[in-house]
Amino acid sequence: MTKFVIRRLLWTIPVLLLVILFTFLMMRQIKGNPFRKTERAVPASIQANLNRKFHLDDPWYVQYADYVKGVFTLDLGPSLVLRNQSVNDIVRSHFPVSLELGAYAFLFAIVVGIPLGMIAALRANKPADYGAMLIANVGFAVPSFLVATLLIYYFAVKWDVGVPTSGWDTWQSKILPSIALGFFPMAYFARLVRGTMLETLQQDYVRTAKAKGLRPQRVVGLHVLRNSLIPVVTAAGPLLGAVITGSFIIETIFAIPGIGRYYVNSVSARDYSVTMGLTILYAVIVIFGNLVVDILYGFLDPRTREART
Amino acid sequence: MAVNPQQEELRERAVVAEAGAPGVAAAGAPVRQTSLWRDAWYRYRANRAAVIAAVLFLVLLAYVIFVPIFSPYDPYEVNFSDAYLGPSLAHPFGTDQYGRDLFTRAALGGRISIGIGFAATIAIMGIGVVYGSISGFIGGKLDNAMMRFLDALYGLPYLPFAIIVTQLFQTVNFWVMVIALTIASWFTAARVVRGQIISLKENDYVRAARAVGARWYRILGRHLLPNTLGVLIVFVFLELPGVILGEAFLSFIGLGINPPKASWGSLAQDGRDVYLAHPSMILIPSVLIAWLILCAFFIADGLRDALDPRTRET
Repeated sequence: MTKFVIRRLLWTIPVLLLVILFTFLMMRQIKGNPFRKTERAVPASIQANLNRKFHLDDPWYVQYADYVKGVFTLDLGPSLVLRNQSVNDIVRSHFPVSLELGAYAFLFAIVVGIPLGMIAALRANKPADYGAMLIANVGFAVPSFLVATLLIYYFAVKWDVGVPTSGWDTWQSKILPSIALGFFPMAYFARLVRGTMLETLQQDYVRTAKAKGLRPQRVVGLHVLRNSLIPVVTAAGPLLGAVITGSFIIETIFAIPGIGRYYVNSVSARDYSVTMGLTILYAVIVIFGNLVVDILYGFLDPRTREART
Repeated sequence: MAVNPQQEELRERAVVAEAGAPGVAAAGAPVRQTSLWRDAWYRYRANRAAVIAAVLFLVLLAYVIFVPIFSPYDPYEVNFSDAYLGPSLAHPFGTDQYGRDLFTRAALGGRISIGIGFAATIAIMGIGVVYGSISGFIGGKLDNAMMRFLDALYGLPYLPFAIIVTQLFQTVNFWVMVIALTIASWFTAARVVRGQIISLKENDYVRAARAVGARWYRILGRHLLPNTLGVLIVFVFLELPGVILGEAFLSFIGLGINPPKASWGSLAQDGRDVYLAHPSMILIPSVLIAWLILCAFFIADGLRDALDPRTRET
């Protein structure tokens, strides 16, 4: 098991290098030289100074190596648009907000989605199942910007239950964005749990447990639930990506000062170093999310250890 | 060894028939093939949700295709005296901030959204088939390397990656969106195709074909790829929602297709600013997106049951 974890950990290093290389090469394609296309013509001497300051005269692989060094020493360089702000500053001040939002969204998804899926599976093809799956299918198909707008429209404006329409400071202000962002993962979990649970209910060991007279609650709690939740762990990886994507929308709608909104702004403002730094931050999150899921899965289901490195 | 291709085919067919492969029996290939699709059609028809979804999907397509042709309104003409009209007989969806008819604009937006969706999905399938079949068919070290490369690409976050690709171009138009969404999401298709090819490769009829000396392109083109077709068709409808949502998200945050052209995502963005006074403006494009996604979803479900009953999902 230790060997599996170590191998899996080492494997993230080339993945990270490759992802940085991709991002780096693409950003180079966009910008060429970030200071050449400004409205004012920059005198040649200043241009030369700027180039020297940002190492723009170096060949690309030297710049790449510098950048990689920066990433591994946790220094993502300066912002090109915001004076006296480094990408690190931006991450430090805005990332915790996004992290909190994402955590609440996942919490909502788990707390609501898993019971919803369980109810649907245990009452398969009955009204409760249809109701739960209706919610899940709607949550699956309706884009998050509509979910967010409807939540604001009804809870913050029409019925005015004391939640603000935007911002991220009081606990009331955190409810709607978390639900809006967690809605899709919630639907995903509900559908997944229903599917895996129906499958587990067919297993021989469940029949055995029932046959030896175990109470239904115990059969479900002890045998069915535990074995149905393993696939849910693997789904958390791809869902991480969905939550990142959703955070772009939700942070924009609720005017939340997280990095999703910052990312969108940096693209519009052509602040390339911020765009690149945040892209790599996202990549690191996705890569480590997958790493954690893989290791967790290895623990939960030993059969997968060999196959998955 | 120069073998007459026709001879090769005959020999192969005889051996394959002997190996007991379904599909190419004594009755001859064409008859059996139509019956495979007819079987699928019968099975599909038995799934009520899938049939309703298919009908609703066609209704949506008809709306998107025909309304702009017959509409009396110019979708780009600005007419401030008609701004923000509510739904009425003349304007079933109302008008937007420039007095443009939303019934027409939503249909045009649907053309763009659905068009981007299908174009990107087909491109994704194309890349997936090439990459996946090379990797799965050749196998060994190359397969390993290609899969490791895919693993690395999985580390790229989807939407940021798509955004960066759009920034490589001067303006964001239809095809730029297709390219960006394709590049950001072809990995899964490649994996699916590879998995299919690898599992099919072990079948007796493939071994038999190999044993009688069929070339690689023949095995791939005749035995492996046609058998992945069912999975690919299902995959189109599974992939479509993701692509259409991706496009809608990009447009919604203002990094999508450039105005005055509009997709459902950018129409929703227009409505987002005035949702308090005119909720229908964000509601209508969003409901159309949800409509399309739900249809695609149930169609995929029905197709999967119809084309490959063994993988029926609970």
